[in-house]
This record gives sequence, structure tokens and C-alpha cells, in this order.
Amino acid sequence: MVACLQDLIPIAMGALPPPTNALDVPIAVSIGAIPGALSRYYLTLLCARWLGVSFPFGTFAINLSGSLLMGFFAALTVERIILSTELQLLITTGFLGSYTTFSTYALDTANLRRTGNRSLTLLYWAGSVVLGGICLEIGIRLAQLFG
Amino acid sequence: MPKPVHSSGQGLTAIFSILRTQNPQLRLPLAVSFGAIAGALCRYYLTLGCNQWFGTAFPYGTLLINLSGAFLMGFFTTLVIERIEVSPDFRTLIAVGFLGSYTTFSTYELDTEKLLVSGHWEVTALYWICTAILGVLCLELGNFLARRLP
Repeated sequence: MVACLQDLIPIAMGALPPPTNALDVPIAVSIGAIPGALSRYYLTLLCARWLGVSFPFGTFAINLSGSLLMGFFAALTVERIILSTELQLLITTGFLGSYTTFSTYALDTANLRRTGNRSLTLLYWAGSVVLGGICLEIGIRLAQLFG
Repeated sequence: MPKPVHSSGQGLTAIFSILRTQNPQLRLPLAVSFGAIAGALCRYYLTLGCNQWFGTAFPYGTLLINLSGAFLMGFFTTLVIERIEVSPDFRTLIAVGFLGSYTTFSTYELDTEKLLVSGHWEVTALYWICTAILGVLCLELGNFLARRLP
């Protein structure tokens, strides 16, 4: 797995073939960003309605599932299952980048801290980061099962 | 780019005139979408720029984006809650659409993984922990500055 992951670095540096049209990339990123942000918006609303607002369940679930999918699709790109640069950017930079959010995570942490519940704040703050890393690993392994 | 301020002003005016003509149920998802396009493109080009300027050994781009996004989130939310009144459309466009899409949690985790695989334990731990700590600090700094505005 380590050997496979090391391939991520040249891909980040642009080893995939360059897109043909200069506008293809910004369009791909935008087309991914709209459903990503809308899924986040509606999932947050639904989670707040079902589970209440005492804990940011929505952002928590979104960031963890997004990290899992990011691991999955990054590994698919490494394994040369996704070959088009535009498709890769649409899914990872566009959709998953917009679906998951760091600014709301920081805002939720600050809001939880203000409620005075220290253990819940720590659970959310550290839990998101640690479980996010674990979910990413699970995603990578799942992609290798398929690949 | 000629007259950037003028053209972006026109763009925003155009977006809000589109939003005003819409059914209220469609307004918020449209605001989220407009903000998301701008946020994701800013993130994409800033990451590219940072890779060109500073290289790809350390994810400077994602770090800069997540910290500045957290700062702006703190500044903006405090500003619209305590200082100025804005429409729900505008609030959603900036906070949920733009800042939500501009910052990213999944790329942060992927960057951490890449650093870990490259074998730099200290740098990985630094990036992983510093983003989480500095993110909250930047947000609180934004809150603080928004309250201190004259």
C-alpha cells in the first residue's frame, strides 16, 4: 500500500496528461462543486432536524464520509482506474472539496466550546481529525479491493 | 483583467437580481451553488499558485486556504450576527456556499496521508495538529476582530 500511495505525489505534481481545453478544468471543478455544496447544505439541515443541534452531527458525518470517499477516489486515480484529469478534478477537487468543509468544522468547535461542555468539544475537535484519517485509510483499502 | 472591482461588482449585482426573481424555495440552493463555484475555483487556483511558488513538498496551499477560510468564517458570522443586518440569501451564499466550499476537510486528510507516506513524521504531525489548532484560533481571531470593528 505504501508503494501505491507514493504514486500520489507525482499525480499531485501534475503527472496526469494535461487537459485539452483551457476551460475544461474550471468547468469540471464547478460542476463538481455545486452538487458537493448542495449535498452538504441539505444533509446538515436533515441532521439538525432529525438529531437536534446540540452536537454538529451533520458536519461530523459529512467530513468523515467525504474523507472516506477522498481516499477511495485518490486511490482509484493512483491505480489508473480514473484516467481523465477532468473527471479526477470534478470528483476530488470539485465535489469532495466542496462537500467537506474545514471552516464549518472550526466554527462548530468554537460554538461547542462556548456551551462549556469540554469533553464534547474535545470529542468533536479531535474525533473529526482522527476518525477522518482512519476513514481515508478505509477508503484507500476499499479502492484496492476493487482495483 | 481590466477593472476587476467594477466587473465583480456587476457580477454580484447580477447574481442578486437572479436570486430576487426566484421562488423563495429555490433561492437558498441557488445562493449555495453560486458561492460554491466561486469558493471551489478560488481553492483550486490558490492551490496551483502555492504549488508553483513554494513547491509540493508541504501542502502550503491547503493550509493557507483552511486557515484563511476559518478566519473569514469567524469574522463573517460574528459580523452578521452582532453588527450588521444582511439577507439570508447573502448569509448562505457566503457562509455555506463560498466559505464551505473554499475550505476542505477531505484534502486536509489526504495531504496528511501523503506527508505520512513520504516518511516525514515530524512534518506530518506538525501539519495535522497545527491545522486543527490554528483553525480554531484563526476563527476566534476573526470573531474578535469583527467585534472590535469601529
